[in-house]
Amino acid sequence: MKTMNIIYREKDIPNIREYDVYVANGGYDALKKALGQKPTEVIDTVKASNLRGRGGAGFPTGVKWSFIPQSEPIKYVVVNCDESETGTFKDRQIIENNPHQLIEGALIAAYAIQATAVYIYLRGEFWDQAFDLDARIEEARKGGMVGKNIAGSGYNCEVYTHVGAGAYICGEESALLESLEGKLGQPRVRPPFPANKGGGLYGEPTVINNVETLANVPWIITNGPDAFKKIGTEQSAGTKIFCVSGNVEKPANYEVPMGTTIRELLFDLAGGISGGRQIKALLPSGGSGPIIRINGNDDPILDTPCTYEDIAAKTGSILGSASFIVIDETVDITWVASKVTKFFKHESCGKCTPCREGTYWLDKTLDRIMRGEAKESDVDLIANVARNMQGVTLCALGDFAANPIIHTIKNFPEDFKSHIGAAKTPAAPKTAAAAGD
Amino acid sequence: MNILRGFATTFKHLLEEPITVQYPEQMRPFRERYKGRHHLRRYENGLEKCIGCALCAAACPADAIWVEAAENTDEQRFSPGERYAKTYEINMLRCIFCGYCEDACPTQAIQLGHEHQLSFTDRQDAIFTKDMLIDPTAIGVAGTPQQVEPGVYTRSIPDMENPR
Amino acid sequence: MVTAMTKLVKVIIDDREYDFPAGMNLVDAAKQVDVTIPVFCYHPKMKPVGMCRMCLVEVGNIQKDRATGEVLLDDSGNPQIRWMPKLQTACTMNVSDGLVLRSTSKAVDEARRNVVEFLLTSHPLDCPICDKGGECPLQNQTMEYGPGESRMNFEDKKHLDKHVPLGDLIFLDEERCIQCGRCVRFQAEVAGDDVLAFHERGRDLQIITVSDPGFDTYFSGNTTDICPVGALTTTDFRFGARPWEMNSVPTLCNHCPVGCNTSASTRLDRDFGGKTMIKRIMARQNEQVNEIWMCDKGRFGHHFTRSEDRLLQPMVRAAGGSLSRETWADAVAAAAKLLGDANGSVAVIAGPSATNEDLFTLKQLAAGVGSTRLGAWPPTHAGADLVAKVGVGKGTNLSNLGKGDAVLVIATDLEEEAPIWRLRVKTAHDRGAYVVVANARKTRMDDFADAVTMYQTGHAATAFADLRKQHPEVAERLINANNLVVFAGAEGLTLDGSRALMQACANFLIETNHVGRANNGLVGVFPGANAMGQHYLGFSPEATRDIIANPPKVLILAQADVVADDPAAAAWLSKVETVISLSLFDDEATRQAKVVLPVQSFAERDGSYTNGERRVQRFYTAQGPIGEAIPAWQAVARIAEKLGQGKARLSAAQVMNDIVAAIPAFAGCKYSDLAKVEAQFPQVGGDDLYYGGTSYKNTGGLGVQIASAADNGEAVALGDVKADAVKGDLIVVPTVRLYNRERVFQASEAQLMAARVAAPYVEINAEDAARLAIHDGDMVQVSAGAAQPVKVRAHVNGAAPKGTVLLPRNLQQTATALTIAAGTVTKV
Repeated sequence: MKTMNIIYREKDIPNIREYDVYVANGGYDALKKALGQKPTEVIDTVKASNLRGRGGAGFPTGVKWSFIPQSEPIKYVVVNCDESETGTFKDRQIIENNPHQLIEGALIAAYAIQATAVYIYLRGEFWDQAFDLDARIEEARKGGMVGKNIAGSGYNCEVYTHVGAGAYICGEESALLESLEGKLGQPRVRPPFPANKGGGLYGEPTVINNVETLANVPWIITNGPDAFKKIGTEQSAGTKIFCVSGNVEKPANYEVPMGTTIRELLFDLAGGISGGRQIKALLPSGGSGPIIRINGNDDPILDTPCTYEDIAAKTGSILGSASFIVIDETVDITWVASKVTKFFKHESCGKCTPCREGTYWLDKTLDRIMRGEAKESDVDLIANVARNMQGVTLCALGDFAANPIIHTIKNFPEDFKSHIGAAKTPAAPKTAAAAGD
Repeated sequence: MNILRGFATTFKHLLEEPITVQYPEQMRPFRERYKGRHHLRRYENGLEKCIGCALCAAACPADAIWVEAAENTDEQRFSPGERYAKTYEINMLRCIFCGYCEDACPTQAIQLGHEHQLSFTDRQDAIFTKDMLIDPTAIGVAGTPQQVEPGVYTRSIPDMENPR
Repeated sequence: MVTAMTKLVKVIIDDREYDFPAGMNLVDAAKQVDVTIPVFCYHPKMKPVGMCRMCLVEVGNIQKDRATGEVLLDDSGNPQIRWMPKLQTACTMNVSDGLVLRSTSKAVDEARRNVVEFLLTSHPLDCPICDKGGECPLQNQTMEYGPGESRMNFEDKKHLDKHVPLGDLIFLDEERCIQCGRCVRFQAEVAGDDVLAFHERGRDLQIITVSDPGFDTYFSGNTTDICPVGALTTTDFRFGARPWEMNSVPTLCNHCPVGCNTSASTRLDRDFGGKTMIKRIMARQNEQVNEIWMCDKGRFGHHFTRSEDRLLQPMVRAAGGSLSRETWADAVAAAAKLLGDANGSVAVIAGPSATNEDLFTLKQLAAGVGSTRLGAWPPTHAGADLVAKVGVGKGTNLSNLGKGDAVLVIATDLEEEAPIWRLRVKTAHDRGAYVVVANARKTRMDDFADAVTMYQTGHAATAFADLRKQHPEVAERLINANNLVVFAGAEGLTLDGSRALMQACANFLIETNHVGRANNGLVGVFPGANAMGQHYLGFSPEATRDIIANPPKVLILAQADVVADDPAAAAWLSKVETVISLSLFDDEATRQAKVVLPVQSFAERDGSYTNGERRVQRFYTAQGPIGEAIPAWQAVARIAEKLGQGKARLSAAQVMNDIVAAIPAFAGCKYSDLAKVEAQFPQVGGDDLYYGGTSYKNTGGLGVQIASAADNGEAVALGDVKADAVKGDLIVVPTVRLYNRERVFQASEAQLMAARVAAPYVEINAEDAARLAIHDGDMVQVSAGAAQPVKVRAHVNGAAPKGTVLLPRNLQQTATALTIAAGTVTKV
């Protein structure tokens, strides 16, 4: 099993982060090619490639771009580099090691919708990376690829970076826009949607794309949509970066074609379960997605191909941002639920009542369960509280926060039952990287 | 014949012990739940239980209770809650001793006691003020207002058990 | 508002079909047809945010054939409805054709129960002592929709600070707050003072103030009304009474020309000798006057009515020179004798809080003794007659101003002089109205202006007359505006200068055809609550000037605190032989009076005021009487009766009947007419606390607006603008501060607002300060005209233009310059 590096090109070409090296290896050719086309042609190319958003929702990128009304004079591209999902660390590697590919992709997107500026929104913790990215943007500017008259085409577009204050919720696109505008990071009421007048950044139509999504775009422009579609499966084209963490021997980012099976990913690439133990569960989309129960290393569910459609159909979970957190037999799932809930309690923005209050009480009650002070009815209570949080909040965080509770209780009822009655110390995970510790 | 039967009854009762109680020299025992005149209770530390919420006044069907509240400070603390009754008056001429005030009280501050010998020569005397209603403090316990450490009493309504 | 222009759409709510104007919010629409969709965060005066999730409802659409547009029917012949898979927040959706809404269903009920449960998990059980208990939307909705008991563990409940002063006037209980953000949004969206903000996130989300001093706004009290829980409480009312113990009495605010409709919550109180006492004042809805808002001066400025300084008995000066208490009969007889012996040399000066009834009775009394000298106090603002001619048209509602309309604010600082007009001009600006501010200095209004034009101090009239030359683009916008309202004050102007400005404004409005129509015309930003009433009843500032120049033998001062306002008053008052004072307070004029008659404040009596938009409004008796004080009109009528002018009327209503008969402007202003109430939109107030918060339904009447001459179709002629300016190296401009030490607001330092009243100061330009070697914070002596010099602190803060110093009035006991005058500033 081999990785395929469309995005992580630094693995094949060291120092590609530098402008000269990037250009020497065909960098910014795609931008130049795109600038020679009509904006609608660029959108059509991306549409034809079947590229889907890599941030988690998997929405077709070209379709997203085509929503932008061409008649509006001011439009923006916003790059979502708020990478905050538990167990996700793919975008950071892109902006650290192959930043120009992101800048190029963002500029192609900007040209396609005729945007006046690109804003790269980085999470608050990416402080150093933001300075580095600024330097990369300056390199590109010196090379004539950013700013006025890009590559002599007459098209002008500025690229800015903006560092948030460190909030999970700012990965949600409308909260990201609020934060970018200097306001409190809370989701907006939609409609109007970001693509519409009044809903985007400063009220102007805005495309918001994930870093990985945009980093795919130069390759698609250069090699054409058909070449891209040949990689992966019909519905999930291209490669995908999987952030594998938890109880595996070699936790890392792995870029592989879509359709690679979970087994290939965990056992061939990531070196198998740590200490040769048996796998117990998998969180395929960080803390926010439903947990998959896996009954040991021979479970046929491990042969599920990693695509948007197969993960959804065969495991009942979602591919999301593809942050695979591997949990082995030694880990207490109640502890996982508690850990993830603490994360969501900390990250809830507090705007909607069910999420604000629900995450607080889930956490408090899970603490009670972990301390062995809870009654059996408390498990039903948190399952019910979690269900009451679902589908009634402005953004998806309410659903995300409910998922770990609902699915851990559904898939691992015995782990919860073991805490009822007597006080117990939580089983500590064997590796420090487990479950986002 | 009938007259004899009548006399028999009379004589029978002559020999029985009388049931008449020589009130007020003699008192009959009270039922535990007898509803007499009101008392405003204190906690063991001397603070007043009444928090001046006026729910007793709201519940009173005879409109006999009048409460005016004021805010506690740590320098001048009357009750462990946020507020206390600055004025607390019950007009005993109006009171029908139904006990609704007792039911309405969220802190069990007002309770109906066993005293029932309430007579007045003046309507004004029928208004029992807070000084008359409140329990005396136990020996060695400070009355109100008390000066307390800041940060000890932070709840709006104290818990039902004795506060610290 | 439903207008003929708005497209109507068909909406089915709970199986009944209704028509609504397109774009209407679902909560508002349901409310209109008496269907309750409970809300916490939504407020009809603010943009929806969808935070509380209480308004979740089932929403669907009637399915139509795409090709033919015909409604698709199901097997039983009913329209097919496609229901949305998830519940929707009604507040963030608007009505649209074919929309179907279910306000109650199993899913909806469950969602509401869950939201209430979630809210209650962190909300303390304070209801027994909470000031909101009894009028609390959360309490009501818990009873209506909430679960009966808690499933959570009590020990895990979050405990927070319950006693956080956001400012001097408002306390926050962090535990009670349900993070709906109504207060934050009110401050940002409606008031335009974004001094509140959310801090932290998740369960730690809290309201904080981001200003120094805290909660620095004139509108803070409104947040306590719209707060759906007891999180925000006022220092004034905190623990004052329980809501169910109080009666609400419709009254009016008497502090400024806006004439806010208010409601006094009253209760018997030991602190007030067992009499009925005003425990708090809240806004009463009048969409045309103050909507549902009021400023903090009106809300908290009622304590003066119970001041220790109130006069309690009539007094007559004995031969020896000291005042002695007399019965009303004796005092009235003494006053009547003085007036009868005056041989017609009588004059009246009436203050700004005298009601229409007081003024009319005074006018009649003066006429009875052969005098027509009726002066209005303070003599600073001229042109009420012009407002009567070209004032805003009947039916004007500032809320209707928006895109295509314009507002000009000239020579006034609305923020300080009429805060609710400032708020309403601000919201008009937000709706798209073009707002122009013209003044000789920077004012707070500049923040909300589309254009700011500055003129030289004292030259307002010429500057305005030259507007078309100096600022053609601004003039163009004003001229071409669909509707134009001009707010004109008299800041930095002499009385003649003020007349010139009002004439210039009138001319501009006439020339540009902005008169005689609703939402068009002139509004005078006059001092006090009844300046327009003074005009209609014959009192004028010009007459006051004449009275000062030619002192009469007997002068009646009716609620005019002349010595506190005018530094020259002591001098001109001494030339008057006899002063009869009708006053609330034991003030300076009282000390010089022969006869002193204690009168009642607005709180203790009924009456009517005519506001700046010429709306005649009535207020009702709220508070128990103080001493032997009686309404001013009654005192005057008794004197008139003693003089044989006819029997005194028995009630203010009868006096108003006389006014209606005698003065054509007041036609249709009988008390019964003033008390009429029509349905208002949004329907705020009453028992449905959920919708607009705790505010009072208007049961006292919406008032009647007097038609302007232009409304009546009378031709209004242009007039000459005779500009008048004061010359000097340094010109002292008296300014108005909302919070000041006037007796009718802050009668004593011990009262609530004391901390909010600024220490006496003067603002001076940096260049002038440098020339005079004055630094920011120095004590300086300011003298202006003939006034006694005053010692105040100098603020070199960029507020004053060069050559001008700004000296706020009524910040100290000594009177400072009443009108603009040349003066000097020296360091002490």
